[in-house]
Amino acid sequence: MSNSTSDNKVWKSIKEYNNEESVLKAKQDEFNDGVTDDFSPENLNGISRRRFLALLGASAAFATTACSDYRDKGEIIPYNQRPEGVLPGTPNFYASSIQDGSESYGVLVKVREGRPIKIDGNPEHPINKGKVNDRVQASIMNLYDPSRLQKPEKEGFKKNWFSVNKEIIPKLETAVAEGKEIAIVTNTITSPLTKKILGDFQEKFPTAKVYSYDLTNNSQKVSAWEKCYGTKEIPSIKWNEANVILSLEGDFLGREGNTVENARLYAQRRDIVDHAEFNRLYVSESSLSLTGLNADYRLRVRPDSQYMFVMSLLSEIIVKRNVSDVSVDAAVRNKLNEFSIDGFIKNCNLTSERVYALVDDLLANKGKAIIYAGDSLPEEVHIAVNLLNEVLGNTEVYNYENSSLNTDWNVSADIRHLIEDMNEGKVAVTIHFDSDPVYHLKGDWNYSEALSKVETKIALTEFENDTSAKCKYVLAIHHALESWGDSITRKNVYTLQQPVIDPIFRSRQKESILISWMNNGSVTFDASQKALMEVFKTEVYDKLNLSVSFDQFWFNALHDGFVVLNETVSEKPNYNFTSFTSMNDKMPTEDYCIQLQPSYYVGDGKYANNGWLQELPHPASKVTWDNYAAVSPTTAKELNLENGDYIEVSVENRKLKIPIMIQPGAMDLVVTIELGYGRKVIGDVGKESGFNGAELFGADSYSPWIFNNAKVAKVDGSYELASTQEHHALDDTFVKDFHKIRKIIKEGTVEEYKKDHHFLHKGKHAIFSISEDRKYEDNKWAMAIDLNKCISCGSCVTSCNVENNVPVVGKDQVAVGREMQWIRIDRYYSGTPDDPEVSSQPMLCQHCDNAPCENVCPVNATNHSPDGLNQMAYNRCVGTRYCANNCPYKVRRFNFYNFRAHVADSFYDNELSYLANNPEVTVRSRGVMEKCTFCVQRISEERSNAIKDNREVDGNNVVTACQEACPTDAIVFGDSNDVNSKVSKYRKHDLAYHVLEELNVRPNVTYLAKLRNTHSEGNA
Amino acid sequence: MKKTVLDYILKVRLPLTLFVIILAFMFTFFASKKERDGIGYAPVQPIDYSHKLHAGDLGIDCEYCHTGVTKGRHALVPSVNICMNCHSVARKDKPEIVKLTEYYEKGIMLPWKRIHKVPEYAYFNHSVHVNTGIECETCHGEIKTMEIVSQVRGWTMGDCLECHRDPHEQLPYLKEVSYGPEHCAACHR
Repeated sequence: MSNSTSDNKVWKSIKEYNNEESVLKAKQDEFNDGVTDDFSPENLNGISRRRFLALLGASAAFATTACSDYRDKGEIIPYNQRPEGVLPGTPNFYASSIQDGSESYGVLVKVREGRPIKIDGNPEHPINKGKVNDRVQASIMNLYDPSRLQKPEKEGFKKNWFSVNKEIIPKLETAVAEGKEIAIVTNTITSPLTKKILGDFQEKFPTAKVYSYDLTNNSQKVSAWEKCYGTKEIPSIKWNEANVILSLEGDFLGREGNTVENARLYAQRRDIVDHAEFNRLYVSESSLSLTGLNADYRLRVRPDSQYMFVMSLLSEIIVKRNVSDVSVDAAVRNKLNEFSIDGFIKNCNLTSERVYALVDDLLANKGKAIIYAGDSLPEEVHIAVNLLNEVLGNTEVYNYENSSLNTDWNVSADIRHLIEDMNEGKVAVTIHFDSDPVYHLKGDWNYSEALSKVETKIALTEFENDTSAKCKYVLAIHHALESWGDSITRKNVYTLQQPVIDPIFRSRQKESILISWMNNGSVTFDASQKALMEVFKTEVYDKLNLSVSFDQFWFNALHDGFVVLNETVSEKPNYNFTSFTSMNDKMPTEDYCIQLQPSYYVGDGKYANNGWLQELPHPASKVTWDNYAAVSPTTAKELNLENGDYIEVSVENRKLKIPIMIQPGAMDLVVTIELGYGRKVIGDVGKESGFNGAELFGADSYSPWIFNNAKVAKVDGSYELASTQEHHALDDTFVKDFHKIRKIIKEGTVEEYKKDHHFLHKGKHAIFSISEDRKYEDNKWAMAIDLNKCISCGSCVTSCNVENNVPVVGKDQVAVGREMQWIRIDRYYSGTPDDPEVSSQPMLCQHCDNAPCENVCPVNATNHSPDGLNQMAYNRCVGTRYCANNCPYKVRRFNFYNFRAHVADSFYDNELSYLANNPEVTVRSRGVMEKCTFCVQRISEERSNAIKDNREVDGNNVVTACQEACPTDAIVFGDSNDVNSKVSKYRKHDLAYHVLEELNVRPNVTYLAKLRNTHSEGNA
Repeated sequence: MKKTVLDYILKVRLPLTLFVIILAFMFTFFASKKERDGIGYAPVQPIDYSHKLHAGDLGIDCEYCHTGVTKGRHALVPSVNICMNCHSVARKDKPEIVKLTEYYEKGIMLPWKRIHKVPEYAYFNHSVHVNTGIECETCHGEIKTMEIVSQVRGWTMGDCLECHRDPHEQLPYLKEVSYGPEHCAACHR
């Protein structure tokens, strides 16, 4: 592999790599084909039922106003008694927590006049330290989703709680009397409160059993850990102390574990401004993951070859090099004898230099490296990886202080057992406790058939889902922001959840529903709160032995959002070698291998109706609104496939028809499908998005999510996948190696940088301006983005969407290039499609000093402010789109429609959805241009605070939404006139550069060039 | 050449008509400017409240009731409990106070009519202005003499810029006042 990209051609798609005509043409035009089409009035919003009603209402309102006093300005209605601490017009922040899968994030919710408008991380939370992932940020849209269930329903008819409880409770009692089972089906529960209530419920109804399952989880890792160390408590990893990281199919930056914590620690070793010693990341994987695209070295390996890889590494290190920190007996050596690193290299067709460089690196950094195996890999790989870390002494980087507890609800019996029982008619009542097993447990599980044999089916859920559609009673439950709760996922960190808004609908908290059934139907509105306080008292307060009163401690804990407990940190347990010697070998096959992976953004399908998350481009392929089967360019060629062509994947008798996407860097003969898409019963936004990979689930798998006995065949037809990868391309097609000349992406290696700090700017010449430079007297706002730390996770995009009321446009609009996100993450590939190097770059309005957009606006709607902002006055804009045409960075976004009224039949055009809007930012309507404002509302806030406190404006106090959300702190914002500010330091750094510098538009967004920590040439 | 009717219409009638129309338009435009800007708007309020009595004669500070004025965007119309700070004792027998007490005790919202309204596309912040030392009266007029509050100044962008561009003329009582921002993003975002 070359030491940098400087000699490679940079490309964004396979078509472009092959210089296809259509791509070349698209780059010459500002707008894609179709972007500017369909402007005939008939094509504007057709009148649908919802739209008609909206118009009817609007015209009625209009008629009333027209007939009334035209000077009337409405009313100002103050509080009758203003609650203490609430000042209309200024936000309040409340600490709470939001559960995402089996992780729990401490959050700070911004509340304006009683409605939550933004969720950010709680800066004091010991685990996620002020950052949260995309799902947690966007979950605010779930709260205001108009398709939420509003009342309990029976067979599709709205009922009240009294009447449904009156019917359900006797059924529970009969089940107990007849000795039939009451099954409660739930996802992972980390909340002591929920566990307590479920326990109480089982006491009251002794035949009740709790079953928990997840679509994807770390069960393989946990069971391996239990076999190796006799405990489920897995230490977290001090990523910041590892010099070398080898990740096997493990997306620790994108999908696995607490990604926010992982990313923060990982990026500490990529902080060039802080003079960090760079870590080196090796990733061995089959499809391009978020971690993989950040790798210094990427090895393309089939998922079912990972076992062989670890064993070969063990063999090389223990047998051949005779290195081990722990004493290894003959049984282990015997098991390793059949493996060798050369055999593995040959088997997987890898470059041997790269693999040997890895071995040398691991040995040279003994005790300072980590090998990490992904959640989807089978138990055996984890057992071997645990041994490898033991052998290399890498257990030093384990952190037992806040280890993952993995104390899932004690599953009384396997879920398979439940399905058998249901089929045999032993189950009288099934309660789906905020879970969707009909959608998740497909394929061999065939849960829905088993469920049909149950007499009473109950679903407790926020939204209608595939399961609730089969249930007689569908009970509406609270959103997390309306609920009381708690969670313990990590040792010694107890996180609290409190409601920040009065329940919008007549829903109930799911715990309260169980409480009501235990109390013969009666329940107070604060039942869950009282239960939580009880749990808090026994689990936390009593254990801490404090001198403060309970009330005082409770309110303080609620204020902070978490409590740090003081249980003793466990010692590192000893490795149990029998786990290793007694396991069976898991060898690869020659067949197609199917890999099912969790989705990056829609979770297990829970967020599939969330437009912001659906529209967030996939980190690698940039596909929105759908999942797909990712295949390698070679495999696609062999099967004669193009993007969007359908294939049929079959494992035994289970089949799935799904379109493909050619993913550069994917392993041949491997098909990767993300889970969480293809829900059948869902709100209007998520309808017909994607395909359900869970159809393939079966017991005959390599691991629960990997099938290496699959068949793949091309079938007729194709499907349109909306990918943003080729939208807004900056490059010039007339110049082949444009990146070199135009300097969009500048990269180097750590060694180059060490040799010469100024290597990036060699041969740079001064650029003159023919006009006089403008002086910026007070503040001059600027941003810097450190591409070394940016992992391209997309958190900034979601945060910006929420903060700036960026609309969802829908799949059809993304397909024609009309996505509205103000910040996008550009993806460039270099090298060959089979084994590419990946570069990413967040791109937003550069707020150029000599902004080309400003010169061409005929109505002066976009112009420059004295503090260096490129302003956009929506009220002036007449929508000529000249500015977008003249923008070299292609960051301006035009409202081709009133998108809220356009998406999914006016789905977001209703009173409830509008509550999610940030009142500090204008909601733009059709016909105006918009773009990043550098969060001018936050700058204004700092200015007003400065005036209030009678001081100068301090740039360090302004934190933009993207900066606030960035888990690695790659984005820095501030006043560049202040020489001591962080942003000034970044701008002056040796690696700082501007994109398209030679245009002399003087951007105010500075990028720090990415350094790859590869070996110097000749070494690898 | 013979004078035709057409000539007469084109040369005399048409210009005359246009002139009258334009004159009428101009007159209406300027004469109605105040009205259109809302100047003099004094709606009937649900409680017959007198600023003259409270702020003028009794000399209660504006901020006693309008608590948000130095803290945030809104000056805040006082919540009913602020009225009741005094009126749970003072003048309990007066009919308007009886009405007020009823609102308070029954927890009914008090729907005051809105008099001043900045256009929706502009973001105005009270605290920025008041903390700079600008007096309430500069925009709201002599509130202390008003039995019934009415709007005295326009609320248009031109009215805002008048001060922002020339604060020394408009705000003679402020010795060291700097120019207000004039760029778009100061108010529009």
